[in-house]
Amino acid sequence: MARLKTAFASTFICALLVAACGGTTTPPTGTGVAATSGAPKADIKIGLATSKSGAANFYNPQQSNGALLAVEQINNAGGINGAKLQLIIEDDGSARDQGITAFRKFIEQDKVAAILGPTLSAVAAGAHPVAQQSGVPVIAISNTGLGIVGKCDYGPCDWIFRASLGEQTAVPETVKAATSKLGLKKVVIIYGDGKFELDDLTIFKDAFKANGVTVAKEIAYTAKDVDFAPFVTQAKAEGPDAIVASSLAGPAGKILDEVAKQMPGKRVIGGNGLNSAALLSNANAGLMIVGTAWSRASTDKANTDFISAYKAKFNTEPDQFAAQSHTAMLVLADALKRSGNPTDKAAVKKALEATKDLPTPLGAFSFTADHDVKQPTFVMTAKDGQFTPFQ
Amino acid sequence: METLLEFFRTYATAIAVIGISALLALSVWLTLYAGQLTLGNAAFMGVGAYVSALLGRHLDTPFPLALLSGALAAAVIAVPLGVTVFRLRGVYLAIATLAFGEIVRVILLATPITGKGQGLNGIPPKTELWHIYLSLAVVAYVLWRVQGSTVGRAWAALREDELASASQGIDVRRFKLASFVIGALIAGWAGGLSAHLTFSIDPSDFGFSKAVQILVFAVVGGIPNVLGPIVGAVVFTALPEILRPLKDYRDIFQGLILLGVIVFLPRGLVTFLDVRRTRKLERIGAADVA
Amino acid sequence: MLEQLYNALFVGSVYALFALGFALVFSVLDILNLAHPTTFMLGAFAAYFAMTAVGLPWYVAGVLAFFVCGAFGIALDRIAFAPLRRRSAPGLSAMISSLAVTLIVVRLIELRYGGDFITFPAGAVPSLVLRIGDAVLEGIRLGIVVLSIVLMLGLTYVVRRTQLGRDLRALAENPRAARILGVDVDRAISATFFVSSALGGLAGVLLAFAYNTLDSRMGLPLELRAFTVMVVGGMGSLPGAVIGAYILGLGEVASLVYLPTELRDAFAFGLLFLVLIVRPTGLLGHRAADRV
Repeated sequence: MARLKTAFASTFICALLVAACGGTTTPPTGTGVAATSGAPKADIKIGLATSKSGAANFYNPQQSNGALLAVEQINNAGGINGAKLQLIIEDDGSARDQGITAFRKFIEQDKVAAILGPTLSAVAAGAHPVAQQSGVPVIAISNTGLGIVGKCDYGPCDWIFRASLGEQTAVPETVKAATSKLGLKKVVIIYGDGKFELDDLTIFKDAFKANGVTVAKEIAYTAKDVDFAPFVTQAKAEGPDAIVASSLAGPAGKILDEVAKQMPGKRVIGGNGLNSAALLSNANAGLMIVGTAWSRASTDKANTDFISAYKAKFNTEPDQFAAQSHTAMLVLADALKRSGNPTDKAAVKKALEATKDLPTPLGAFSFTADHDVKQPTFVMTAKDGQFTPFQ
Repeated sequence: METLLEFFRTYATAIAVIGISALLALSVWLTLYAGQLTLGNAAFMGVGAYVSALLGRHLDTPFPLALLSGALAAAVIAVPLGVTVFRLRGVYLAIATLAFGEIVRVILLATPITGKGQGLNGIPPKTELWHIYLSLAVVAYVLWRVQGSTVGRAWAALREDELASASQGIDVRRFKLASFVIGALIAGWAGGLSAHLTFSIDPSDFGFSKAVQILVFAVVGGIPNVLGPIVGAVVFTALPEILRPLKDYRDIFQGLILLGVIVFLPRGLVTFLDVRRTRKLERIGAADVA
Repeated sequence: MLEQLYNALFVGSVYALFALGFALVFSVLDILNLAHPTTFMLGAFAAYFAMTAVGLPWYVAGVLAFFVCGAFGIALDRIAFAPLRRRSAPGLSAMISSLAVTLIVVRLIELRYGGDFITFPAGAVPSLVLRIGDAVLEGIRLGIVVLSIVLMLGLTYVVRRTQLGRDLRALAENPRAARILGVDVDRAISATFFVSSALGGLAGVLLAFAYNTLDSRMGLPLELRAFTVMVVGGMGSLPGAVIGAYILGLGEVASLVYLPTELRDAFAFGLLFLVLIVRPTGLLGHRAADRV
């Protein structure tokens, strides 16, 4: 027994050493999809930092798959002026320091042309400044909060672009549509204590004010709450015309159920957190009203092609996060082509800024002067397990 | 040479985080060595982080002064807390300090100046690697010297038997409070360093999972000497990066390694060399003297 | 108001169901089993698997999950705790080995079912809704309230009045003496883990049914609450844990009604802190302070 233990211990130490060396001396071990044989030009590397583990791991595999599909399609169609794209995917672990290390690895070791990600806004708050300092273009694919592009807390952020519809745009559109169609006078907001939820709370309050709707009460829940009945009971006491869920999909599902039970006939208005495929299987999903960046029902050719190709490759329906990462990759590839020299980062940045009405699953794609996505908001509800336009 | 530089540039943040983890592990080691199981050091880290970042932002306080103020703020808060929880031991103390940590988190979430749940963003990255490793060297050296001194022996005695120590004339209250407050001071200093490393802090960085993580570093490394917590912090902060090639299976292997270490070396990684000796002693029935 | 009282009763029952198994292991073995939230989650997934992949009805799936989790508890003990006992390792090590098991099991579930929450197929779990005026009563929620009280009474009976209970109490007082007195210590420990984990798993199934949703991290929010509940009720006291759970549930709902909502969480931990300072033994506890 004693010998066994010593053997185990020494194997463990050896394994650690091997792993440590392996991690530093081998070439990048990302998910390369490019064919390396016979390529006339060097591959163009793109980094994707995404939450494959940790609290936000549910955005994957869709977020990775959307980009992988785009890279495959671009390479099959001849790549970037003859050069193949190589996508390197790193897990950001839903943690800020891991996100920063992933970004540094892309920049220092892989020498990527541009970076997509990371998944969470809280991680982006640490990772984006790293790319900004090094002058590497970034396209955010799922950060919807305040301070991602345009005016950022850490100073200039002119290397950062965003392909994900910001809540500043989506929420006011949602509130406008809901107010006019439902004749809202008074609402109650139930909100969580995370960065995303609090950003949403601010934006919702402003939007309701602009539409002349009273916010009768704001009720905070915490990430540790499991039961939402007391919150909805509390909201009901105010006699609101609708409930606003400034939350992620998990709590939103429980709020939907409670509203259905306690306040029959009332609707739930939400932000991007409710754009979740998992939420669609909730029996009360039909109550929600949400602004989305992507409509499955859009009949643009770019969109229908994307949906059928995605289903063929991954044997599952794409969601908004797949559509957004797919779009970001298309936008990036288009800019790399137009830049003339994909290794010249300033040229790529300039080309990104000049993106004009590129056909993508999200619609004709352009950036605003602030590097934010310029696209329509689809105000949706759910029916039969699908997002459908809210009318 | 080029690859080495590249390695350092890539892993600069990871290496910095390792150093900060080691400081935090030492901060909790100090209390564990004196027999107090506290889970409050994540909150003290948070106090240091917020105070130093806010001073820098609103009063343009020079960086070293801001760091020091953060550490002192944590220590000042630790005094009344330490006095209050003095009577508690073991799991009770752990849960009381955990409750304190949650109260700090709730206050951070409810106060406008701390940015509530959105946290503070755009904190200038002033922390250099040498700041962290110089702090670590100083703290480790001081603690190592203290461990060998009368104070260190008093702490060890407290850990083994509080009643006996008191009867031998050790001022239990003062020694316990000292280890608690100095632990908070170190954690607050580490918090200030970490706030100026990753551009952004928010209350969730200093919650229950951080408290448990710090404890894991110290316990898995080993309590017998100051090397233990440092080894534990280095190994278990580096592990996620080392295991990166395993991709989806990274957490599983991390769990397996953690389980293997704690099961085969329950007194910590640093007891690895002692294992054979202990085995022999166990066989002759003298494990207690080891 | 009455509605909020009913909500509080339900929330308290949820906390009680979760905390019972947690408190049982702590009272007998002085172990803070950080894998308890994982067992809770595993129960929900075992039932989900039984219902969707095997096609069993919900009540059979629930019973199955109870036994699966009980077995998991015994395995957990053999893997994470028994080796530490053999080496007479410090109590802290058990916290860490259970944490390691959590890391592994949560990730395995995520690899199989994804990290996002999932929902039971429509109609798989019957919903019985009674409306009394404005208020809504739900069958499953009432069932959980009743069950948590029944389980508390049953468990108290087992601990107080049966041979197994006597063995457990002997074990809790002094393992070495218990062994000398002829208590089958290994069997008693296995029984403790079986009951604790089976209850934890059952709690997971019931909650997944009540909310019609399950995910890999569903147990974590309850962990801190379980600490609070145990301290308030008295560490090591099973009826205390249940009473503590109802006090916490009531307190949380009351502070939602009467306090600024942002400070609601401060109530729970303020209460915890206060109890520890004023009466560390809790309401029904008797041991003054714990060994280190």
